[in-house]
Amino acid sequence: MVLETLKKIEEAVKERPQELAEARKKGAKVVGWLNYNIPEEIIHSLGLIPIRLGTGGDDRLVEIGARYISTKNCVYVRGAVGLFAENKDPYVQNSDLVAVDATCLQIYRVAELIKYYFKVNTLILGVPRNFTSPEGQVYFRKEVEAFTQKLEEFAGNKLDNNTLAESIKLYNSIRKSIKELYNYQAIDKAPLKWREVFDVIHAGFYLDRERYNSLLQELLKELKEKHGIPKIGNLNGDARIFISGSIIPPKDTKLISIIEKVGGRIVGDDLWSGLNPVLNVNIKEPSIKGIADAYINRVPHAALPYLDLETDRRLKNLKQLIKDYQAQGVIYHTLRYCDPFTFKAGETKDVLKKEGVPLLEIHTEYAGSDVEAIRTRAEAFVELIKNKNNLEIEA
Amino acid sequence: MTKETHKPVFAGVDVGSLTTKSVIVSNGTILGYGLIPTGINTEENGLKALQKALDTAKLTRDDLKYIVATGYGRISAPYANKTVTEITCHAKGAHYLHPGTRTIIDMGGQDCKAIRLDKDGNVVDFAMNDKCAAGTGRFLEVMANVFKVKLNDLGPLALKAKEIVPMSSTCTVFAESETISLLARGEKPENILKGIHHAIANRVSGMFSRVGVESDVFFSGGVAKNVGMKAALEEVLKAKIVAPEYDPQLVGALGAAVLARNYGGKV
Repeated sequence: MVLETLKKIEEAVKERPQELAEARKKGAKVVGWLNYNIPEEIIHSLGLIPIRLGTGGDDRLVEIGARYISTKNCVYVRGAVGLFAENKDPYVQNSDLVAVDATCLQIYRVAELIKYYFKVNTLILGVPRNFTSPEGQVYFRKEVEAFTQKLEEFAGNKLDNNTLAESIKLYNSIRKSIKELYNYQAIDKAPLKWREVFDVIHAGFYLDRERYNSLLQELLKELKEKHGIPKIGNLNGDARIFISGSIIPPKDTKLISIIEKVGGRIVGDDLWSGLNPVLNVNIKEPSIKGIADAYINRVPHAALPYLDLETDRRLKNLKQLIKDYQAQGVIYHTLRYCDPFTFKAGETKDVLKKEGVPLLEIHTEYAGSDVEAIRTRAEAFVELIKNKNNLEIEA
Repeated sequence: MTKETHKPVFAGVDVGSLTTKSVIVSNGTILGYGLIPTGINTEENGLKALQKALDTAKLTRDDLKYIVATGYGRISAPYANKTVTEITCHAKGAHYLHPGTRTIIDMGGQDCKAIRLDKDGNVVDFAMNDKCAAGTGRFLEVMANVFKVKLNDLGPLALKAKEIVPMSSTCTVFAESETISLLARGEKPENILKGIHHAIANRVSGMFSRVGVESDVFFSGGVAKNVGMKAALEEVLKAKIVAPEYDPQLVGALGAAVLARNYGGKV
């Protein structure tokens, strides 16, 4: 049974490009952004419209992008350049400014290229590599300050801490709601699939944030009325799979579809295009400092080095989410030339092995040539988990 | 073998990229097998191999209680009651033949796998290479053609080497041209072949850095018939490979038949 509000969200996303174009005609300005650490609260409180850019899964866009960027960059990055080269994506078309943070340095390179080749108005936010040290934190505060000043000039508006407090309240509500939604998808006989929640998250990249928040409240109300308070337990024997690794952006359904086809049930993720950005955001004061400190202390993107496995927040978060959603195995998605996540696959596998959680790395691109090979791996992994559950295959 | 209708009979069919295999089991015994080259009609191939296996066992389709299909062609096997991946099937087959197996190297026609098992034959980890032909039967077929020898003679020839000529490439196309230049330079064919086998073994060992090696190590797939490859792998992995008394090319089909018995026994 399809949830009414899910249909409403889908409709709202379809109407969004038109809505944006009309808003711009009336003088509104759109800030499209790429990467991980752009603080949307600041964009929003300055009266600008934030849109998270980037899509995946389209090899044609990758080819177009590769005319401007080396083929030794990941397909998501090449595809992102392709989006600007082609200039048909409605969100790229409607962006008056493109903000890019320097978390993943390949994406940072996209900002340079689109400025050089396509004269896109870009704004960069520096991100420290030494993000856990006091010096790194000070650096990031100053970067967010400089970023805000440039945004203020662009908006013709000054950041006001009271308005910022309102924006923070809105975003906190969105983050809280998404976490609640995740609980519903993870329960036994779930009323909605992980994939649907993932789509809801992606709808939030585009929709007006107030409207998005009210749709989320409506969806949660519908779920509560029909299905009560979610409680993860009484597992019915599904192969419960957790997805981690490189970005799976909107429109990239390759791996997700294969996992579903071979009988795996996805119950959680720590993707930076999924749940991760909403986790552990503790904004202590409505100020640039409050925002900067909260963002840099979130679960870090794998592009930021973290060499001590014992205190690595990314791994700690991964282990916790696996427990929370009662996942039984991790499919670790790596895109070719996505070094941050690919380099960390081995250590992630070793750390999880100690917890008794098997990990399968799937190394892929957007081309379809490896679909059958991935299917065999994913299917064997599902068999491994189901066998562990003593469900089907017995020795 | 005489027909024993009172005992349930099970079949496994393994439709690989280069060959299609089938094995018939009943009451813990292997009754027959079939092995044919894979043609373009996947479904037909599976049925042909199955028929051949039934013929050697002197049985008919009606005698079969349950069929499990595996291999890349498993997606076109409407004749099967169930399909299972070749990774699980190789594990079951190897465990059946040699219960002490903890690690499997499976080198087939177009891919290569490293599989780790627990003491009960359950898969605990695996890695797979199918991005390139190195370490596969297809690579060796190309090499046999370069040396103008039969595929089965490649391994024994490599074992005759007194020295090793290092091969820098494991790309099928580049390895072929590198071999031709080495032959032109006057290097001995057996020494070059040893180099080729070692280059592949080194490449395959990369998969084991991800899953680890634990004894006993079992070698399955068509390439396991190559004694030169077995020797090179033992040297590179620093592990002894157990020699099963059964055709290593049939291990996947055997595993499928064992699983058919497990599923079908309950039906």
